[in-house]
Amino acid sequence: MKLCFVTVGATASFLKLLEQILSSQFLETLSKRGYTHLLIQYGKDGQQVFQNFIDSDQPHHGLTLGGFDFQPSIDAQMMMTVEREALNQERGLIICHAGTGTVLAGLRLGVPLIVVPNPDLADNHQQELADELEAGNYVISSSVNDVGNAISRAETQKAEVLSMRPGNTTLAESMSDELSFLD
Amino acid sequence: MSFFLASLSFWDLLLWCVALAITLGVGILIVLFLSLTISQNIIPPKRRSRGSPTHLLVVLGSGGHTAEMLYMLEHMNFDPQIYTYRTYLVSSGDNFSADKAKDFEAQYGQNSQGYAHNNNYTIVTVPRARRVHQSYLTAPFSTLQCFWACLNVLCGRHPDQKLPKEYSSFYPDLILANGPATAVCVVAGAKLIRFFLCLAKCVALCLGLRTLSSFTSAPKLRAIYIESWARVSSLSTSGVLLLPLADRFLVQWPAQAGRRAWWGMKRTEYAGWLVI
Repeated sequence: MKLCFVTVGATASFLKLLEQILSSQFLETLSKRGYTHLLIQYGKDGQQVFQNFIDSDQPHHGLTLGGFDFQPSIDAQMMMTVEREALNQERGLIICHAGTGTVLAGLRLGVPLIVVPNPDLADNHQQELADELEAGNYVISSSVNDVGNAISRAETQKAEVLSMRPGNTTLAESMSDELSFLD
Repeated sequence: MSFFLASLSFWDLLLWCVALAITLGVGILIVLFLSLTISQNIIPPKRRSRGSPTHLLVVLGSGGHTAEMLYMLEHMNFDPQIYTYRTYLVSSGDNFSADKAKDFEAQYGQNSQGYAHNNNYTIVTVPRARRVHQSYLTAPFSTLQCFWACLNVLCGRHPDQKLPKEYSSFYPDLILANGPATAVCVVAGAKLIRFFLCLAKCVALCLGLRTLSSFTSAPKLRAIYIESWARVSSLSTSGVLLLPLADRFLVQWPAQAGRRAWWGMKRTEYAGWLVI
């Protein structure tokens, strides 16, 4: 299995991204790059769009599709994009909105990550975060329309770098300092 | 004297009142600025012996803030033998944070010997400072309510708190916060209490009631604020408010390092990524 997991966020709706993901062009790109499964967390307003797609006779390009609106934790779904031979899992891909929790979870797993900031949100520091992360080579930041072209760039990125990070002791030292221990 | 008062017209009186109010206001501002500057620049003497009981207060803001805070604690190799007592402060209705705190305690809070203490942490609840979408008209009142509750927690007077007797003081030794509004209330409250404690000590010293030894106890109510990882180039509102209040201000992006509230104040420190 080679999974592409897409999450548009549970609270704000992001229909533009959902429509782009379900476009024939995007599905074809996924299929060409060897993906077998596409799982989508479509959020609170996405149910209708997703259901319409399933009910229609648009081509799936050989992909197995799944979708859900919300779950308390999507850690299990994200784990399915990690390479694990025992489970016959290939390294997959995560496409997500620029929500901090999701981006962090993706970075911790070290899988290819495409971050798509939601242009409808007034929160412009999400765009800033996405730009900065791309500048640091941690993720690929993409606009909604360009997400298909971002796949190849995300796959070739050195995602392993993050899991190799040494432990950060700054917080422990700061806390110890503030407590003013004798030694 | 009665002649002097009688000769004052209404307008003169008003003028004097306004002048008095302005003087008082400016005076309070100067005292505020000075005491904040002094408080942030004083390096507390090293007086705490290793292994002595310490009380840590962790502010769990809400969803993302809580997740980041507990992740950071996990990854600093949290040692319950150093931070022997923990108080987790959550906002009312935030069951997510309370549950996460319990999970964290179950996993990391108990001794390596394997026996579990039931009385080495508490979770206390305070009213929300500002609910999402609450009007800015009523927000000051709910914030005040939250501030008052935080003061009570800091003084150990919250009904859920039962600090064991070996702790010499009800005040927590160290406060960890990473936002949002509740964190501001807690840290501001801690500063206020420290101001009055210092004032009381000075008065006592001047009156000869106590000797210098009362100044030599280990520092209390020190606050560390960690700016959210999501903030790349600009501080959050909580961050801006806490810049002059926190004793240590950690940031996770280089562009945020070196900021300070005003001339002579402590600068923010770049800590690297704490959430990865």
